[in-house]
Amino acid sequence: MLIHRLSLLGLLALLLAGCGSSERMEKIYAERCLGCHGPSGKGDGPTAASLPNAVPDFRQTIQRRSVSQISGIITQGKEIMPAYGPALSGGEIQDMVLMVRFLSRQDRSLEWWERFGPLVWAHCSVPWEVVLGYDEPEEGNKR
Amino acid sequence: MRGPWIRLGFLLLVSPFVFLLQREAAAHDPPSVAKGAQRREIRLPVEDFSLADQTGKNFRFQSLKGKIVVVSFIYTTCPDVCPLITANLRLVQERLTAGERGGISFLSITTDPEVDTPNVLKSYADRYRVDFSNWSFLTGEEKRLQRVWKIFSVKVERKARGLVNHTTLTALIDRKGMMRFAYAGAAPDPKAILEDLRRLLRSQ
Repeated sequence: MLIHRLSLLGLLALLLAGCGSSERMEKIYAERCLGCHGPSGKGDGPTAASLPNAVPDFRQTIQRRSVSQISGIITQGKEIMPAYGPALSGGEIQDMVLMVRFLSRQDRSLEWWERFGPLVWAHCSVPWEVVLGYDEPEEGNKR
Repeated sequence: MRGPWIRLGFLLLVSPFVFLLQREAAAHDPPSVAKGAQRREIRLPVEDFSLADQTGKNFRFQSLKGKIVVVSFIYTTCPDVCPLITANLRLVQERLTAGERGGISFLSITTDPEVDTPNVLKSYADRYRVDFSNWSFLTGEEKRLQRVWKIFSVKVERKARGLVNHTTLTALIDRKGMMRFAYAGAAPDPKAILEDLRRLLRSQ
């Protein structure tokens, strides 16, 4: 009984966490964010070293911010970070928000992925955006 | 006869240390795509053009005749090199003396008119805390901009909405409208630009 409850709790935690990373989100992150924020959101992208200000580590900044705050920064920009509002659709901004939230939770070593990879993979195979409802990018902005 | 053997021995002794030193230096080099821009001295007359500035007002290049002009090409949603160019030029603007500021103007010309309206450019410049007294951000119809890009040999290739590949040029133009220095690359060194600007100020 206890095992059943624990498994249910585990499944619920995974559901709440959301898989986070889809191919579309990763593509937009790679195109628009990775240069400064780096592949894992630690602020160590190839351009970061040349910027006048240090690029924050998502794991330290994103956790404290609400979805609308993160969305606001991506839309309106901050200091020298570009404002993506004029260029991207609501769906694309949402993709970015989800991706940075996903990366902010990533402090997992390679061993973690080796151990739990199949479980994460199985969870990620569920089309959560269809199950939970998701904003598709506007037709004009699809690439 | 012993000479070459001594040199070889010396090389064998020293090379591991040189290798270690190089490795150490490489380890401390931050990973960066922006290791400065290539600087070239040239002499190229710049034709007149007109665009709209960040307030929507018509701007004519000819109106800056008699001033030294720093021209750069950027777009506001650029995720890599443009922030470095604008941030470095902002540093140059900040380091100019009050006397120098009167004789120098900055122009940032967009490579993405689809997104970069005057309002968008104004917000972009505000985020960099640009002093608008001698810095204008220019946009316009694509056709007009294409002519300007051609004047400066800037190639622009649209990849997606808000994502553009373009030549990263920062050019210094003298008081007679002649392009004198061209920096091609991601991060033009503010110190080098300041030196070249001061050289132009002194020479005319």
